[in-house]
Amino acid sequence: MLPVWLWGPAWGVAILLMIWAVRVQRGRPPQRIAYEGALGALMLVAMAVEVPLGPFEYHLTLAGALGMLLGPAGALQAAFIASTVLAFIGHGGLTLIGLNTLLLALAATVAAGTLPALARGREPAVAFSWATGIGHAVSGLAWLGLLALGARLRAEQLGLAPGTRTPWVLGIGAPFVVLGIVAEAAAGYGMARFIQRVRPDLLPSVARPREAAA
Amino acid sequence: MSLIRRLDDLASLGRSPWHRASALGKLLLALLLVFASLASRALPAVLALQAIAWLLVLTAGLPWRLIVAAAAYPLFVAALFVGVTWGGPLEPHLVLLARPVTATLSMLWLIGTTPYPDLFAPLSRVLPRSLGDGLFLTYRALFDLLARAERLHQAQRMRGGDAAPAARRVVTTGEGLATLVVQGFERSQRLYAVMLLRGHSGRVCGCRHWAELGRDDVWVGLVFVAAVSAAVLLRGGA
Repeated sequence: MLPVWLWGPAWGVAILLMIWAVRVQRGRPPQRIAYEGALGALMLVAMAVEVPLGPFEYHLTLAGALGMLLGPAGALQAAFIASTVLAFIGHGGLTLIGLNTLLLALAATVAAGTLPALARGREPAVAFSWATGIGHAVSGLAWLGLLALGARLRAEQLGLAPGTRTPWVLGIGAPFVVLGIVAEAAAGYGMARFIQRVRPDLLPSVARPREAAA
Repeated sequence: MSLIRRLDDLASLGRSPWHRASALGKLLLALLLVFASLASRALPAVLALQAIAWLLVLTAGLPWRLIVAAAAYPLFVAALFVGVTWGGPLEPHLVLLARPVTATLSMLWLIGTTPYPDLFAPLSRVLPRSLGDGLFLTYRALFDLLARAERLHQAQRMRGGDAAPAARRVVTTGEGLATLVVQGFERSQRLYAVMLLRGHSGRVCGCRHWAELGRDDVWVGLVFVAAVSAAVLLRGGA
């Protein structure tokens, strides 16, 4: 549905980022690779869990939460693997692995980047929730932008008035983005609250309760 | 997600000639169908490639419900996109609707007839070590976590979790998924210990027979030739 010049470079950028992530994480212990594999699988499991929200059933991605738990480089690899497995079962498509990876990694990176600032003076679970929401808001806006761009290009290709398509795309896509932000932030809150109680050492150091960090 | 589990079972237990063919041949055929379909702008070529994809999935012994479910998802997304950009000639819209279905059916056929170690083995040879290993380890962890997620979901429903307000349900889902984070961490420690016991050499290796060609690869070769012929002969002026 999207033109090759959009998904092709996305593949290229995803590969370059992956090379960076592999270099950054060189020398990490094999247990860490197994942990990232488990959380990549969790991303797929979360995508399978149906959360009924009124008339909709929302499928979480946990991209923001995993970004904070694994760091941007680890989350990027987990997102790539999850997108690849999804493409193999026909959800997302081979050509879109790059774009899907970048969108998930964007949510993960923004969430991980904003967490230190948000964690100051806030409960870890609340900071986690805010960071998740912000990460998914940025990623959701990027997704909406891509959809609008795709529709515009296609309208141009078909000789239609391109400007008239954008409100339709935004009208259909925006409610899903808002729903996604709220659901991911709430799930992020629940995740952090549980991990904080049971295994606070798994939380990033900036979001650990003081007694656990000490 | 039961779709993945079902496909995984079918890939290992299926008895069709496609199941006996090599992973390499099937991977190349699936990629050909996906990219030829993407490159074709002529409706007859796109439809012919889709007919080939349908032929593959229908002769692979895959349950029709699985096939319909897999085909319906990309069709729905493409239909939304077509609806938003509706207007002008009909043919480009039909091409847009047909392409993702062809791609999905091709991948469904591939993963439904090829066990995952055979499928990931060629990929792990071109990916960096940590990514290749991650692919195997993710897939291995998936079914364990999936079973736990289903049990958690059942327990939540039996305790009246579905009757709670929406916000509470999502937070509880997050807490349930957090138990899987903890489980995933502990599992990764155990898994590494087991890998060491089994003589892990620093890289997870796929099986070695993914590229061994057999008698049944003739069928894959014939379909490959048919797909190339369809894409070339029916490409029209585009």
